[in-house]
Amino acid sequence: MTATPEMRDFAHRLLTYEGGVGKASEPMDSPTLRVYEKLHQSLSEFVGVAGFLSLATRALALAKREAPSLGAVRITADGALLGLGELEPQMDIDRERPREYPSSEGGVILITRILGLLRLFLGEALTLSLLRNAWPGEVFDDQSSANGRKA
Amino acid sequence: MSIQEKVKITQLPTGVPGLDEIVGGGLPEYSFNIIAGEPGSGKTTLAHQFVFANATPERPALYFTVLGESAIKMLRYQQQYTFFDPAKLPGSIRFINLSQVVLENDLGAVLDQITKEVEKANPAVVVVDSFRTMVRKPQSDMDLQSFIQRLALFLASWQATTFLIGEYAEDELRDNPIFTVADGLIWLRQTAERNSIVRKLQIIKLRGQNSVPGLHTFRITNAGVQAFSRTFGLIGHLKDPPSHRRLSFGIPELDKMLDGGIREGDSVLVAGSSGTGKSVLATQFIAEGIRNGEPGIVAVFEERPQAYAERATSLGLDLETPQKDGKLAILYLRPLDLSVDETMHSILDAVTKIGAKRLVIDSLAGFEMALSPGFRADFRESLYRMIFALTGIGVTILSTVEVDESFTEFPFSTYSISFLTDDIIRLRYVSIEGQLRKIMVVIKMRGGNHAKDIREYEITSKGVVILGKRLANYQGLISGLPVRTDRPDSMEEPAQKPGTKSKS
Repeated sequence: MTATPEMRDFAHRLLTYEGGVGKASEPMDSPTLRVYEKLHQSLSEFVGVAGFLSLATRALALAKREAPSLGAVRITADGALLGLGELEPQMDIDRERPREYPSSEGGVILITRILGLLRLFLGEALTLSLLRNAWPGEVFDDQSSANGRKA
Repeated sequence: MSIQEKVKITQLPTGVPGLDEIVGGGLPEYSFNIIAGEPGSGKTTLAHQFVFANATPERPALYFTVLGESAIKMLRYQQQYTFFDPAKLPGSIRFINLSQVVLENDLGAVLDQITKEVEKANPAVVVVDSFRTMVRKPQSDMDLQSFIQRLALFLASWQATTFLIGEYAEDELRDNPIFTVADGLIWLRQTAERNSIVRKLQIIKLRGQNSVPGLHTFRITNAGVQAFSRTFGLIGHLKDPPSHRRLSFGIPELDKMLDGGIREGDSVLVAGSSGTGKSVLATQFIAEGIRNGEPGIVAVFEERPQAYAERATSLGLDLETPQKDGKLAILYLRPLDLSVDETMHSILDAVTKIGAKRLVIDSLAGFEMALSPGFRADFRESLYRMIFALTGIGVTILSTVEVDESFTEFPFSTYSISFLTDDIIRLRYVSIEGQLRKIMVVIKMRGGNHAKDIREYEITSKGVVILGKRLANYQGLISGLPVRTDRPDSMEEPAQKPGTKSKS
């Protein structure tokens, strides 16, 4: 099973967005971690910690098949993502250039897989509705128009 | 306190077609309700329909899931229903999973979590699904009764209409404190009867509401739960003033036998064995109504509408044009697991849509076969309710019924339902002069004076045609094996003339 180009594109959007919104004065988690944490928080409320853990571990297992670089990455019992530091080390953001922090290919694949599972189970419309709670409308603009819906 | 000072209880739409009527207009705002029933009985779907019908961004719905069905799977399945609008999530409807707090903490912590979420969201609707799993393990510092009491008080104070969903058995009704605290208790049942599933719901209690008592059938389709009230949604419909109008069959001789025709609003039974022309008579009745500007409905169970219309064409009766013009609806009702209430719903929809004045049910035997076996046991009672409801709104009903031909008795119906009908027309075969011929007699006409004649008739390309005068030169016609007498077969009209009152 491969992730759809649409989900991969959407994962890119989320990662790009998170790559540019860190506080300039503080060290910033990698975009993958930031996207993952937002998903963790918003989805845990919705499906419970155990529900999110199930989704995330399945997504990671699928992602590892595609990206061997994720081999050391694991998810703890409370749903936290560990081991991504090797791929995407925490960085100090330059105050003058805060919007340049690319995510790793493994990170893109992992987020794509989580979104793909949500889409698989809930459908695209409901998945986007749930994600709207965690990200601003601008992230969804193209996605929404692609679905013929207003952002 | 005067009437004007009474508090007005706002009734919220349930979002379930037919249920508003059953609960007395809608569910009371701020009420604390239980939806109980066995797994698979439709509890969650019903709650979702209420939530989607009432949640707004300003006053959202909080849907707490606990142990049991995961939210993802719940939404995966629920979004298949047509009422499900994904755009309402999460702005108007928020799903919150309480599994963790339920597993790791006591009921006090659960209440704290609910309190926190309610205070944050200011919801109009709160659902806990399933409440049963939440309180399966009562904690020592707060017993179940106290927890329920505090939860009910809190949610009512926060102006939330609440639904607790649970798998309860009926024998728990007496002992479980939750049923005492609840304002409303909706019980959903489903039972397997032979090869059919019969679903029924009951409003066991609903404070402040004039709900319709009894068991009401419901169905779950891709539109969700649809309920069918035992009163057929006719509460508040006033009976039209009694009409003295007579409705013609379009068969002058038969109209004469009926003292001018069927009285408007009557229920007529046409009984006879196979091939005696019951359906032909029914078709002529409907066609004549349409000719007279009275829209009609034919509920058929034994043949498809197209075949029914084609057969009418062979009699010179056009049923195609009035269907296109919205003057006639031919309903084909044969899913084999119907309830009478569902059938009534279809008929009433059509009555409302085309303003029908005449209804043909062809036939009662087919109708019975279309019902789920569980409903067949109540067929007479259901027919009684249906006929009473439809004639109550001024519809004239003609039902056909097949009876076994016997040469020792003269039955009117196999259902012992003659008491339900105002008028009975009996058709039967008789053996006369080496021929199997047909006779017709009006057995009963409530509130009217009908001819007592036994008339011979034929079914021709023009439909039922009554022949000659009454068969006065035969005795024992109704036995089917008459004996010829010397009396001439040309007696004039009977002594009792139409329009005079019968003493019987």
